[in-house]
Amino acid sequence: MTETTAVAAKMGIDEVGARAATIVQNVEAVIAGKREAVTSALTVLLAEGHLLIEDVPGVGKTMLAKTLARSVDATVSRIQFTPDLLPSDVTGVSVFDQSTRRFEFKHGPVFANIVIGDEINRASPKTQSALLECMEERQVTADGTTYRLEPPFTVIATQNPVEMEGTYPLPEAQRDRFMARISMGYPSSADELAMLSTRETSSPLDALEPVVSLAELRGMIEAVQHVFTSQPVKEYAVDLARATREDRQLRLGASPRATLQLIRAAKAHAAMHGRDFVLPDDVDALAVPVLAHRLVPTSRAVGAHDRDSGPLIDAIVRRIVGETPVPVGSARRN
Amino acid sequence: MRPDPVPLSRAQRLALTAASFLLLATAAMALGPLIAGSGWWWLCAFIAGGVLFSGAGLRALRAPASLVPVLELVVLLLLLTLVFGGASSIALIVPTPETFDTFGGLMSGAQRTIEQQSVPAIAVPPLLFALALGIGLLAVVADILVQTLRMPALAAAPALVPILVPGFIIEAGAELPALVLTAAAYLLLLRVDVRVRRRARLLAGDEGEDAAVIVPPKRVPIVSTLGASLGLAAVGLLTASVLAASTPSVSTSLLLGSPSQGTLFARGVSPFIDLGRDLRRPEARPAFHYFARDADRPYFTLLTLDRFEGEVWGVTDTAVDGDNTVDAMPLPDGLSEEVETSEHPIEVVVDEVRTTWLPVPYPASRIEGLSGSWFWDPGSLAVRSVDTNTGGQRYRVTRLEVTPTVAQLRDASTEVPAELEANLELPEEMPPIIADTAVVVTAGTTSKYDAAVAIQSFLRSSQFDYDTEAPVAEGYDGGGFDVIAQFLETKSGYCVHFASTMAVLARELGIPSRISLGYTQGSPTQERVDGVQRVEVDSHDLHSWPELYFEGVGWVPFEPTPGRGSVPDYSRPGAGDGTGAAAPSTAPITPGASGRPDLDPDRGLAGQGGGGATADSWWQRGLSVVLVAVLVLLLPAMLRLGQRWTRRRRIAKGERPADAAWDEVIATARDLGAGGDDVETARAFAATAAEREAFGEAAALAALTALRDAVERERYGPETGSPPEASELQEQLDRVRAALLADAALSARAHAVFAPRSLFDAARRAFGERPSVDA
Repeated sequence: MTETTAVAAKMGIDEVGARAATIVQNVEAVIAGKREAVTSALTVLLAEGHLLIEDVPGVGKTMLAKTLARSVDATVSRIQFTPDLLPSDVTGVSVFDQSTRRFEFKHGPVFANIVIGDEINRASPKTQSALLECMEERQVTADGTTYRLEPPFTVIATQNPVEMEGTYPLPEAQRDRFMARISMGYPSSADELAMLSTRETSSPLDALEPVVSLAELRGMIEAVQHVFTSQPVKEYAVDLARATREDRQLRLGASPRATLQLIRAAKAHAAMHGRDFVLPDDVDALAVPVLAHRLVPTSRAVGAHDRDSGPLIDAIVRRIVGETPVPVGSARRN
Repeated sequence: MRPDPVPLSRAQRLALTAASFLLLATAAMALGPLIAGSGWWWLCAFIAGGVLFSGAGLRALRAPASLVPVLELVVLLLLLTLVFGGASSIALIVPTPETFDTFGGLMSGAQRTIEQQSVPAIAVPPLLFALALGIGLLAVVADILVQTLRMPALAAAPALVPILVPGFIIEAGAELPALVLTAAAYLLLLRVDVRVRRRARLLAGDEGEDAAVIVPPKRVPIVSTLGASLGLAAVGLLTASVLAASTPSVSTSLLLGSPSQGTLFARGVSPFIDLGRDLRRPEARPAFHYFARDADRPYFTLLTLDRFEGEVWGVTDTAVDGDNTVDAMPLPDGLSEEVETSEHPIEVVVDEVRTTWLPVPYPASRIEGLSGSWFWDPGSLAVRSVDTNTGGQRYRVTRLEVTPTVAQLRDASTEVPAELEANLELPEEMPPIIADTAVVVTAGTTSKYDAAVAIQSFLRSSQFDYDTEAPVAEGYDGGGFDVIAQFLETKSGYCVHFASTMAVLARELGIPSRISLGYTQGSPTQERVDGVQRVEVDSHDLHSWPELYFEGVGWVPFEPTPGRGSVPDYSRPGAGDGTGAAAPSTAPITPGASGRPDLDPDRGLAGQGGGGATADSWWQRGLSVVLVAVLVLLLPAMLRLGQRWTRRRRIAKGERPADAAWDEVIATARDLGAGGDDVETARAFAATAAEREAFGEAAALAALTALRDAVERERYGPETGSPPEASELQEQLDRVRAALLADAALSARAHAVFAPRSLFDAARRAFGERPSVDA
């Protein structure tokens, strides 16, 4: 760890911003016109959180995850979740080694810096839980031995909200483990047209080179941790969380973990913009991706929205952000 | 400023309420110079305390915040019923329709008593009611400001009301100790508020690692609140002093209501002018009538003018002494036992005259049958009321007839008692003609009495004409030095001129003098029962005459006006050359000088003029009302200016300078209606503003961005590095403000100056806020 600390000490906040811009640019070479999704994904990576990408099939969820992973020179693994996937297929399994006559632990795909979990809602709850436990504890325990997951460790999971047949939707408690949820949305006509020409023959992913080394990524994460968060901004985050808990249209408000992750994400957001302190604007920008997937609307509020309550919750969060006064500094409390 | 999210505890609210109460109670002390005694203050404190603490109780019971002021008004009503409702209430505090009638009566009584009483006023029930109602309403306002809106700095406004009132009424204004105490109470309220908020935040805030960050108090808010409040106080004091300076001769009536029609000398603004006008009235109005024995035809004195200031004659402003009830009046000043006196009862029935001064003969020994509270003034024995007037009065006055002999008058000591020094005072700049006349007229006289008789004879001689028109026509109406000088030239005038001339000449010769205003003896009618005759007195019998003081006899009336009234025996030339005992003083002797009404040359004298003086006071009244209105209208603009000034000082002093600069930008934008909401971040505001045309200019945009970065770093950044340069911030602020202003329409700019929205924001937010629940 001394090595990474040294890098972090060297890495100024401006440099974090510059590197982040390079990564975003690199990803955008593949995923065009999705600046917001790309930024959110990178924010989560820098804040050491986990990202849930939720959208219809074929809009580039996996592509985004892969591109981001490829842009950083880190170990990447991909798990395709299926109903018959077993927990050991994720975490790893102990096998008997004939030569040594001992059980040896074979690391599963979760032992990587960036883990792409495709269609996580297709796996059985048992398997989902295994992954989610790793996400929370950042370690794997097998046969009484604990194996640590090397930082940085980020899970980028995708799920398809429309196809519900034969899926196991993530319960609220497990959704709460993800720092942010984003959706891709369809590309614009121009972007879609451009995509057709670039991918006619080969995948642009193949040509993609890492722009940031693992050490640099650790340095960036370290720098993010040192971003200053003032008391008013913390209070602002708490105010927002409290507002979601008191809102009439919401049955379940944001958890304290949500507040914590909102601040962490805001720090990363600030650093990505080359700032060494958090602004209420950072909190505002991340309120929807960080808070929305944890909230449950009341049945009355859902009304006509029926199953797909995503846009409704996004709107509620935006409304709450719009209604909560912005703090103006600790000395102005009157 | 965003609404404080931390609700206050009951104890904290109670502390704020107690501080508000203290502020109002001390502010009420400022009324001290206006009202006699101290009982009224306790009543004020009781009412204010009742309203404020019931509000605190209601909040403790979690009454909805918006309902508390309404309930406080109800409490005020109950308290008023308790104190003033009397028998008309149910269970002492529940008002009935009858109670409201009582209140109505008290209110109109209050209006009357305010019109009629001079300061310090006697605290009669109607006045107490008005005070209680006023202080109760102020308490409700203060409570709204302090508790509902959580803007205790503005509590200065209700506290200023009792402080400003004395400034309107007496020249000195409120007394310094009361002002100092009120200011102290105000600062205490602010202090309590700051402490309460800080403690509430600490209790509500996380006790974790950041608790230590909150504890060290930043001094800025206290300083700026103090600045704002001092500014407010300065504006208040300025207003008071401007008003006091601009209305030096304005009496109470000007601001607190004018005397109603037909009320004579209600405030004594210029009794002479009123008198002249009444004399010129084409038709005489019946004033009063009286029943007296044949020989008993006294003058009726209303009031006595003893103070001469060169321009006007006035009444020495003395407080009404509540002990001076009219059922037992003292012997007149200076009367010794050697002088013969006799008592005569006279029954007086008032017809149309409405005045707070009672027409009574001087001297009187007692008066019975009056309704209302009437008190005599020491010295003049003039009788006045503090809560009613002469309307509908019927009373029996016992007149003390004083019949001095000429010898007694002539032998009177030339010593003047110390307490009468004031009756000798003449201002320095006396026109020479007065002294010359005094010397010429009294040449050869040996005693003060002879000199007085000589002056009276001179004025009654054929050289002088009685004329109510001439002085008005030629512009020398009144009783001042200039008027007297011109009167001595023109030798034409009416009683006011004769009386004031004789009084001044007497003072010039060392005889204490004063002028009485009242009625001559009136006209007897045919109605007569048992030797008691009915005598009618009307507005044409209004008169003024000088009274001169002779030691051992007291104040002695003279009659220098030719053709009016009757000449007292002792003052007729050669009266004392015979035996010595004089005939009854006011008995008519010669038809020519008797002033019998049927022979009175004044009768029928009529004119249309006389409105000039009142027009003048109306002009002044209008001016002061306009002035007050303008000041009130300018108040928001001045407060906003003060706020801007405070922020500029913060920038210059480096107290969170970027914060101050940005606040000013936001406030300017709010004022202009160009955004600046409190849910908008600095970045968001700057982004919206940058799209405006005025920020197309690179310099303005750069200033805006620099200012935004500075405020973001100051508000949310770590406390490292040096603060931005004050001059730079100032320049950026000016540039941004100029751009915002340039972008706004003229009407928006005018709106921004005179009705700055940013000032009203706090109130608006406080009302929009959900009622906070007590912890």
